[in-house]
This record gives sequence, structure tokens and C-alpha cells, in this order.
Amino acid sequence: MTLDNEQIERYSRQILLREVGGKGQEKLLASRVLLVGAGGLGSPAALYLAAAGVGTLGLIDGDRVDRTNLQRQIAHFTPDIGTPKVESAAAKLAALNPGVKIETYTEHATADNILEIAGRYDFVIDGTDNFSAKFLINDACYFAERPFSHAGILRFDGQLLTVLPGRTACYRCLFGGPPPAGAVPSCSQAGVLGSMAGVIGCLQATEALKCLLGAGELLTDRMLIFEALALRFREVKLRRNPRCPLCGENPTITTLVEADPVVCDLREARR
Amino acid sequence: MNERTWRIPESVVEDVRAYRGKVEQFLAGEASPVAFRAQRVPMGIYEQRENDTYMVRVRGAGGVFLPDQARRIADLSEQFGSGVLHVTTRQDIQIHRVLVEDTPTVCERLLDVGLSPRGGGGNGVRNVTACPLAGVCADEVFDVAPYAFALTEYLVADRANFNLPRKFKVSLSGCGRDCALSSVADLGFFAHEREGVPGFSVYAGGGMGAQSAVALRVEEFIPAGDIFAVAEAVKRLFDRHGDRTNRNAARLRFVAQRVGEEEFRRLYQGELAQVRRERIAFPQIMREFRVSSSEFQVASSEAPTLNSELQTGSPAYRAWKAGSVRPQKQAGLSLVLLPLALGDVAAPVLRGIADLAAAGDGALRATQDQDLQLRAIPRSRLPWLYARLRALDPGLVAAPTVKSVACAGASTCKLGLCLSRGLAGAVDATLTGQPALLDAPIRISGCPNACGQHPIAPVGFHGAAQRADGKLVPAYTVMVGGRLGEGEAALARSVGKVPAKAVPGLLREFWSAALRERRDGESTNALLDRWGADALRDLARKHGAVPAYQDAPDYYRDWGSAEDFSLAGRGPGECGAGVLDVISLDIGAARQALQEGKLYEATLAAARALLVTRGLEPKKDREVFAAFSEHLIRPRWVSPGAQALVDAALDFRLGDRDSLDDLRDDIRALVARVQELFRSLDSALQFRVGPVEEAPNPPTPFPRREGGAGAEPERRGAEPAPYELDLRGVLCPMNFVRAKLQLEALETGDILDILLDDGEPVRNVPASLAEQGQDVLSVAAEARRGAEPAPYYRVRVRKVV
Repeated sequence: MTLDNEQIERYSRQILLREVGGKGQEKLLASRVLLVGAGGLGSPAALYLAAAGVGTLGLIDGDRVDRTNLQRQIAHFTPDIGTPKVESAAAKLAALNPGVKIETYTEHATADNILEIAGRYDFVIDGTDNFSAKFLINDACYFAERPFSHAGILRFDGQLLTVLPGRTACYRCLFGGPPPAGAVPSCSQAGVLGSMAGVIGCLQATEALKCLLGAGELLTDRMLIFEALALRFREVKLRRNPRCPLCGENPTITTLVEADPVVCDLREARR
Repeated sequence: MNERTWRIPESVVEDVRAYRGKVEQFLAGEASPVAFRAQRVPMGIYEQRENDTYMVRVRGAGGVFLPDQARRIADLSEQFGSGVLHVTTRQDIQIHRVLVEDTPTVCERLLDVGLSPRGGGGNGVRNVTACPLAGVCADEVFDVAPYAFALTEYLVADRANFNLPRKFKVSLSGCGRDCALSSVADLGFFAHEREGVPGFSVYAGGGMGAQSAVALRVEEFIPAGDIFAVAEAVKRLFDRHGDRTNRNAARLRFVAQRVGEEEFRRLYQGELAQVRRERIAFPQIMREFRVSSSEFQVASSEAPTLNSELQTGSPAYRAWKAGSVRPQKQAGLSLVLLPLALGDVAAPVLRGIADLAAAGDGALRATQDQDLQLRAIPRSRLPWLYARLRALDPGLVAAPTVKSVACAGASTCKLGLCLSRGLAGAVDATLTGQPALLDAPIRISGCPNACGQHPIAPVGFHGAAQRADGKLVPAYTVMVGGRLGEGEAALARSVGKVPAKAVPGLLREFWSAALRERRDGESTNALLDRWGADALRDLARKHGAVPAYQDAPDYYRDWGSAEDFSLAGRGPGECGAGVLDVISLDIGAARQALQEGKLYEATLAAARALLVTRGLEPKKDREVFAAFSEHLIRPRWVSPGAQALVDAALDFRLGDRDSLDDLRDDIRALVARVQELFRSLDSALQFRVGPVEEAPNPPTPFPRREGGAGAEPERRGAEPAPYELDLRGVLCPMNFVRAKLQLEALETGDILDILLDDGEPVRNVPASLAEQGQDVLSVAAEARRGAEPAPYYRVRVRKVV
């Protein structure tokens, strides 16, 4: 694949970068990234990935656009209310960069579909809003051997972790499993500042691009914690946990199962 | 009374004198055709399709030609050319079929009467046009013609203005109706008055052709005297930012497209500020352009004839008066329109018209609709003038209700696709006698470039080609909805494609339906928006089918041609775009055949696709393969291994081989390579990718070029580097992007020479390359040479990473 003039012009500002160049750009164009969730985190991540010329983007989300989404899910506009999120987002991405192929899945990620879908992509971005989905993605990426970016936001805080399954600490190394119901406040109770989604979603896109390009150091074995009110980034060092039920020495999770989805009602909060 | 329009600057006189020497060198074999071409084209002299004859394009600033000038043009055409002059849509008059050895004489004799073709062609300031009604129109804010003269005088004086990235078209409109087409010019002015001060609004970056664009407004109002500074600023913006490396995307509109409107205006303001700081001396603008000749008298010997011809009551006279005579804003005076069939006028007729001009203000005007005008004719002289014009050529007093405007087309344009003028004749014949429908002419271009101005036509056509029944069919794309007007201009859009022979039928049907459909008082634009575009789309579908050759061979012949349509003999030129369509069709056919497992057909279509770029259009399969071997395999555009494939295909054709299945991969590779070559074609129909190398190395994208137009490869003591990349005219940081991409394509240790402009480029690019780890060996200034626009630098780099 060689870049045509339109592409050279479009991507010139990143081709300039030593870490990208023409070869890197060609690599991006040949790459495939899956975004699980086309909401708060997925919107900015998908827009920047499309803008950067990641050749194929997959969007999986079963929700439709709701008025309460518009405060932070910037791929969706007011006239999109009622439209499936993947369709609304796909239209924006196509308008931004017609050179990008968009694959949409109008369904929620479940134990039945996610393993097979994730396997078709080079990198996965977890833009979901509930614990069961986050553990599901963590497990699916482990079984499918796909690097992914985990993230979450609540109130004025955000967190971020990149996982190279089997090689660096995974989400379960840290938490084992979902917290008991009610232990963690949901968005509907706690609220969230819209720009948090932008900050963290953009960092996820950055990790995806770095991973695809093989550039720099990924956010692995360390969790980044962002506190907006103090405007502070903190890092927590992590290690792979030998007793991790998924990637530890004696794993107890050997197939993909979905945790009880009522554990967190965060998804409800977006409605 | 003025005795001139614009004064020929000294530099033009010198260049015209020097031109004779260039022709002599060329004729003596001392200058290559390419080197000579570089001298000839900016002189306004083009090679015609008919080999070894040339066309001289004489600029008429604002369309004005004085009588002695018109007579001289007529004389020169009779003595050295075809005896038929051609009025262009940019208000020039062309002398056709001049032998190259006569072109210096023609130029010199034009100079004697204050005319020159300098800048009529090439990459520079073309004729500065003005409203055809400038000076007489009741709606105009003021007469813009003197500004056309003054701008011509100013712009033509600087030789650098003939070495711009591409052509640069300037026009002035007397009001917002835009009869001068300023909304689609590179630089367009609209007359306005603000608090009693005459001035202009200014638009830049418009143009018709590949990717037509409506111009952007860069100034809401400037006092009239500022046109020079503004023109200089826009021209410099173009000079600096126009893409000299890609002729197809070099016009100012591509700069606007590339940098965006806001940045475009910012760049312009920067240039303007600089121009103002330089306090350049600008020419005077004449206060009023008048050539009224009081000495005119109807000779007494003519008086009886005049009386006997006083047929003022005859229907023909009345029709003429209604159709071709318009009142001027000057009371009692009339403008008389002299319709020319497709802009052509015979030399004796032009001479006669020049004589008759004395009955009015003494000057002739060439219009954008390729007609001529006489002006300031007193009412009392109209019957006399009618009689004289009719005696000169009855066509001059015919009042056509429908009119088409066409480019020169394939008959003289070296790469016209269709015979646009043949179609225009057929359209006129079909619609003559029909009631008026459109308030603008039907515009026809012979190819997708817009010399016939189809993008601004309410209804227009541009030439195309299609394949049917294994043969080529001349065809036209139907365009609808174009319009002019300050702030309202829009480009026509395509609604379908029909064979050339189906166009008159389509128009006939459209005409009658539109006359029924039109509501009282509805404008053409409103009718087309409400109903016409859809109707034309339906009609294009209905008339789009091509019957089989044996049923209707006529469909396979263009208007005015008895032979089957062919693209053979087409060389590179303005109209290359149409040829690309045909190649693209063939490659599409090859790919489809490949997919359907029709391997022979795929091979044949792939072999045939690019031959048209070599001016060939063989009919028989055997000839196709032979030409492919000769023109594509032998020069290694395609790998030599393809010869075996061609042989196998022929064996298959002759029945000596049962199948080509074993060669499927080779065929696929062949189709891919042909496609790659196609994508790399430049406007001169040359491949930009290199030939296939003998070594197993992949082909390098930019092999060192052997000196371009007349330039010798430079030595300067050092051996030339094996690879060279010319980034002159490419801005920061795109030049660095290109350099980087080129280096990536090379092997570590390879040496690349990069040519860079002075200033920012040479300051930034070598530093950035070094910063990214490349080895910058030298940065050397290259001396300014004759044809070079500016000093530049040669930067030698060794690839490290």
C-alpha cells in the first residue's frame, strides 16, 4: 500500500513525526480497532482514531441515543436522539474521514458475541460503563490475545490501564471480580463531568495509536488516575498477580462467562 | 478620442524581437521541440492538432480591438493563416494554421498596431477580460474597460508573470450580474460605489476545469486605484503557494482548497501588506475610454443604395433590430451584436466589420459568447448598417433565438475528446425556430475541461467517451444548474451521460416539455431548480442507451465525422481528462473479467487500457497485443515476464492453448501493474512511477529525471546523486513530508538530492531531516538560470534511518 496525495496531505502532520512517517501511517491504515461502547469514552476515542486514519473501526453498542447522553457523548448530536448509537457515531466518523471503514454491531457485548468480534481486531478500547462489561472485555481480550485499553470515569475522576494479556497486569489481577452490588455508586447517583470522558477517551485513543505504531511506552503495569478537581495525574504501580483467577498460575476462569449484569446500574444512568 | 487601449511594455517588445531567434534556432535543429515549446507557448502560440501548424492567440484587453488592429489581424490571417479568425470566450482573437517560420513575422506585425499574443498561453497572466457591455450597459456601476487595459499594461510588463505555477485569469464585471464571469476567475473584480467612491469587491480562486470552483471573496470593497496592489498580492500568493509539481492541481483554486478559506484570506492579506510596503509604481488608468469618430460620413455615392435599402418596415429588419440591436445608456445610441457561428469570422468579413465600426465609436468588441459588437451607432444609421452587414455576410444580421457556445473541440484542440463544435451545430439546427427558453447559451465543452464553460451553463454538456459493443462511442455528460452572479454563482452538476448523437433529441424533448412546464414569469434558474434538473436526469436515462454497432453505426461516429470515433492520435494536452475516463473503463473491464474468470478478456482489456496514452487505438486483438509489447513491455513499463503472458493469450486465441487458468496470478499482477501505471499518469500522460528494473529491487518511485524543459542536468563539480526530488514550490511542512516519504522508499546509505526553495524551506527541511537522524551532506545554492523562477537550493542527504 502506498499513500496517495490526498492521504499524504491529510496525514501530513503526523507523517512528520519520526515515530509515524509514511510506514507508520500505512500501518495505521491497515489496522483495525474495536470500540466497545459508543458513548462517553468511545466517542472521542473513535473520532481521534478515525481522524488519524486507523483503517477500520468496529463499533459495538446496543443502545440508542438518549437526551441525557448528549452532555458527554460527543459523537451524538441532538437530532440523533432515538438513533442507534453505532449508526449515529458511524455517520460522524464517515464524515470526518471517508477513508476509514466502519463496522457496526448494534448489540451489547455479551459472552456470546464478544470473543469472536474482538478476535477480528488488533486493539480493543473498553468504553463501557459497568463492571460486568469491563470484566467481560478483560476476559475476552485475554482469550483472544488482544491488547486493550481499560478506562472508567466517575464524578471528577478517571482511571486508565493498558493491558497486554498474559504479559502485563490485567484488570482481574487488580480486582479479581466485580464489587458487590451497591458498593460502588453509579453515575446516576454520583454524576460525571462531561469533559472527563474527553480526557480519558483521548488517552485511550493515544494508547491505541502508540500500540499500533509500536511507539513509546504503553501504560502497562501501572494505572493512571486522574483527579480533575485537583488537576493531578497519579500513577499506581501494578504487578501481574500470580493468584489472578484469569491469568494467574492456577486460573479458575477458563471460559468466557458474563457476571450478573445488575451489579452496577451505571448504564441506567446514561438513559 | 483614444488611439490605444493598452500600451505594449518594452519588455514585451524585446521578447517579441527575441522570439525570432528562438524560432530560427528551432528550425536549424539547435533547440529541441521541448525547449522551443517553453519559449513559444508563453508567447501565446500553440501547436494545433494538425501537425506543424500553429495558432496565434491575440489578447484583446476587455475584448476591445481598434479598427486598424482588427484589419491587421484579418490581413495576417489571410497572408499567413487559414483566413478564418476565431473569437474566444476570453475575448481574444485567434489566427489559425500559421506555419512556425511565419509566427515571428505575425507577432512583429501585431506589435506595429499595438497588439501582442504575449501571455496568450502558458503559465501566466492570460487576457484580462471585462463585461461585454462595459461602457454602455444601463445597469453597470461604471465602465470597467479602462481597468482591464491598465491591469493588462501592468501585469504584462513583468516577465515573471509568464512563469506562474499555472495560468492566471483576471476579469472585471461592471455589476453583480457578472456578464464577465468574474465569479469563476482566478481573480475577479465587481464594480461598486461606496460614498461616491468607485471601487471593487474582489474575489479570488475561482476557475473552471478539473474541479471547478466558485471564487472566494477576499475584499468587500477597495477603492478603484487599489486594483494593482490587490492583483499583485493575489498573483504573489499564487506564485508562492501554487503547486508547481502537479500541473493538474496548480491553479489558484487548489491553493484555496488546500489551505482553507481562512488561511487563504490570511495569506492574501500578508501579501497585500507587503505589496503596499514596497510602494510599487502603478500605471495610470485612463479616465474614460472613447474612440468616437466624428469623421464618419456615409459616402454620397452610397446614398441612393441606402435609400433603396431603407427596408425599415421589413420583418427581417424588425427581427434584426429586436434581436441584435440594444439601446445603450447613452441616449440615441445603439449597440449592435454581430453573432458569429461558434466564434468564427472570415478575414474579409472581419475587415468589413472594422470599416463599419467607424459608423459608431470606432472600436470592435469581442464577447464572452464569442460574438463581436459594434457600438455607439446612431439610430439614423441603423438601416444603413443593416444593409451593409447583410451584404458582408447574411449571418451577421441573422438573429438566432437559441445559441450554443462551444470550445474548439477535437478538430483543433490536440486532445479534445469530442467534436464539440459539430454538436453545437447540430444543437443550433435542432433548436432554431424554437421559442426562446433559456436566457443563457447552451455551453458545450469537448472534454471535461471547461473551455466551453459548461460549469456555468444552466444547461450544458461536456465530452466523454464510453465503450459499447467493444467500440468507443462519443458521449456527453449532461450538466444542469450553473449560474453566475456576485455571491450567487453556482456550478452546474452532472445528471447523466448520453451518446453524442442522442443530444439533439434529448434537447428537443426537453425544450417542448420545458415550454409547457414553465410558469408565467418564472426565471430559467427557478424552472431548472424546480423541475428541469429532474427532467433532464430522466431524459438522460431515456436517451442514454447505445444501440449495437450493426444496428446504428452512426452512434459510433461523432458529429461532423464520417469515421468511427477513435482516440488515436490524441497527444498529451489540456483535455487529457477524457482519455483517463476511457482507460478507467478498460481497467474496470479487466478487473471484472478477472473476477468472472474470463482470463483472456481480462488480459486483453489490461493490454489495451494504456495504449491510448501512446496515441494508439488498435482494433484487432492481435494488434492490441503487438502494440502492448512494443510500447509497454519493451520500455519495461510492464515486467518483461508479461511477454510470455501475451504469447499465451495469443495462443489461446488461436486455439493452440486450452486455458489460461495456470496464468491467473500473472494476469492478476498484470492488471494490478496497469492500474498502478494508470494512477501515476500525469497531465502529460506520462507515467510517474519508474519502469520495472532489471535487478530484483522494487522500482523506485522517483528515478532521477533527465533535465526537464530545456534544462541540462547540473554538475557543479559534484556527481549527480542517483535520486532527485524537486520540492520547489512545495510549502513547509509538506516539503518535509515529501522528503521523508521519499527517504523511506530508499535503502539505508542511498543518497538523495532535494531541490528546495529559498527562505523557510531551506532553513527548515535540512534541519528537520538532521533532527530525525538523516545525514545532511551538503546544502548548496543553485544559480538562477533563464527559465528558473527563483534561486533554489540543492540539499544532499544520505539515508541513515
